[in-house]
Amino acid sequence: MDEILKTRVKDLCTKIRSGQIKSIEIVKACFKRIKEIDPKVKAFLKLNEEHSLKQAAQIDGKIKTGAECGSLEGVPIGIKDNIMIKGESMTSASKYLENYISPYDAAVIEKLKEAGAIFVGRTNMDEFAMGGSTETSAYQKTANPWNIDYIPGGSSGGSAAAVSSGMVPFALGSDTGGSIRQPAGFCGIVGYKPSYGLISRYGACALASSFDQIGVFSKTVKDAFVLTSVIAGGDYRDPVCETGEQTDYACGIYNPDILKTVRIGIPKQLSNYKADEEITKYFGEAVNKLKLKGVAAVEIDIPAYKYVPALYEVIMCAEVSANIATFDGIRYGYRSSNGRNLNDEYAKSRAESLGYEVKKRILFGTYVLGAKNYYRCYHQAQRVRTLLINQITDAYKKCDFIFSPATLQMPVKFGEKLSEECDIFLTAANLAGLPGITVPCSFTSSGMPMGVHFMGSRFSDAKLFQITDAFERISGFDINKYPNL
Amino acid sequence: MLKEELETTAFLARIHIKEDEKEKYLADLNIMFDYIEILQEPDIADLEPTTHVTKLRNIWREDVVKPCPKEIIDQMLDSAPAKEGTFYKIKKVIAGTS
Repeated sequence: MDEILKTRVKDLCTKIRSGQIKSIEIVKACFKRIKEIDPKVKAFLKLNEEHSLKQAAQIDGKIKTGAECGSLEGVPIGIKDNIMIKGESMTSASKYLENYISPYDAAVIEKLKEAGAIFVGRTNMDEFAMGGSTETSAYQKTANPWNIDYIPGGSSGGSAAAVSSGMVPFALGSDTGGSIRQPAGFCGIVGYKPSYGLISRYGACALASSFDQIGVFSKTVKDAFVLTSVIAGGDYRDPVCETGEQTDYACGIYNPDILKTVRIGIPKQLSNYKADEEITKYFGEAVNKLKLKGVAAVEIDIPAYKYVPALYEVIMCAEVSANIATFDGIRYGYRSSNGRNLNDEYAKSRAESLGYEVKKRILFGTYVLGAKNYYRCYHQAQRVRTLLINQITDAYKKCDFIFSPATLQMPVKFGEKLSEECDIFLTAANLAGLPGITVPCSFTSSGMPMGVHFMGSRFSDAKLFQITDAFERISGFDINKYPNL
Repeated sequence: MLKEELETTAFLARIHIKEDEKEKYLADLNIMFDYIEILQEPDIADLEPTTHVTKLRNIWREDVVKPCPKEIIDQMLDSAPAKEGTFYKIKKVIAGTS
């Protein structure tokens, strides 16, 4: 692959701005790489080659004149197909939205446009982000670039595969129960989910609103930080997006003293689950590397971790059933021609255009919200959610970050199932509204990468970037290694 | 979940399920029902439910009708599967017709 694709985002921005690298060079290199390997990986649902090249040429012209540049001027990026770009299609990998054209820009897209980023294409995902393998996409299955017989994880599997294989320097995803951090772990890259309310979700397709967050994929923590500082910030159009500065990005990312001053908490509950042998081994090594640099490691006790899969399923499905109710075939999207009356038309439009996983979740969610079941199912789950949050809050009295393997299992082959506990340390962050970053840590004997996960307290995002950047420096993981495809 | 409950739930969710699909839905949903049982286990008598982790507050505005630009109306209607004039076109909803 072209060496230019290995340039880190910060350097890319500086070099494009100074004219050392032309935007059109990097954009062309991305499309060359995509054409070479994406027929095997299938990370992209749609490419914007013509428009991207035109935009890059304009930017290069603008730079020549000495005009002021945005912070990501001329840098290519991949966008998950559930985030709206005005005038472009957005399918959320569903047949229901096959012909949908976005009427406006998502808040994060507005910010990226202002910063001068170039949207090279839309990345594949599980249908409406419901899944952990990208196999429920109505259009195609994305492969793990490290071994194309295996899943890349999901739901943002397209973004993870594209960044990991060097097709784009970074990409946007969304994370409801680990949908950024799990595929980042499976594909050997950095995946960041912010504190709930840090990045506006205006213009993103909702899954479970009390968990959903937009976040980023990149090769390095620093790249994720650069992108986050562009897209974060209050927005009145997302009612939970906190206005005012919640995270101090001015503090920068490099903090040489951080390893000597932080305490990491290792959940006692890790031993209750049967993790893959090599994951346990390399996680242990990661803990030792941190300790050798002066990090204090303490054991923390969060018994409610065992409720995470159940909590997530009940609350997520309830919110799904409410959110997906908007897809009724009336105002936009697919309408069945077999409906006998209005109700039948709703029911058949949804039946004919939504996939099995989506319909199953809607049905379960409808049941748990039913008048007779609400108190025992949904209300009960919300109270157990409080229990989990209280225990996590208590744990932060003993530590600054909760440290765990990103997943308890390595990726599986297509058609095989991951265990329900696989992502619990990731999903806990969504249930409690906390920020989390997956950082690659080692290659296992299969030649596939594995990651570790740092979870911070609410709005500790800036410090979370510092600790993960510090870990990246000592992990020994070769970020310049790319999959052979 | 019994077959009748599945049918009621599917009607409430406005999802048409064919007769030959019902068995698979029932099997998969009945596995998910275990989650509800698991959540009955902890003692949470004194805990309030968490709906959101943020402290949401209402933001009020005057209840005033503002005209919508024609461009936006057209754009919205362009996405509709069927329209007539400035309206979405749907099947009749008056009782006694279909």
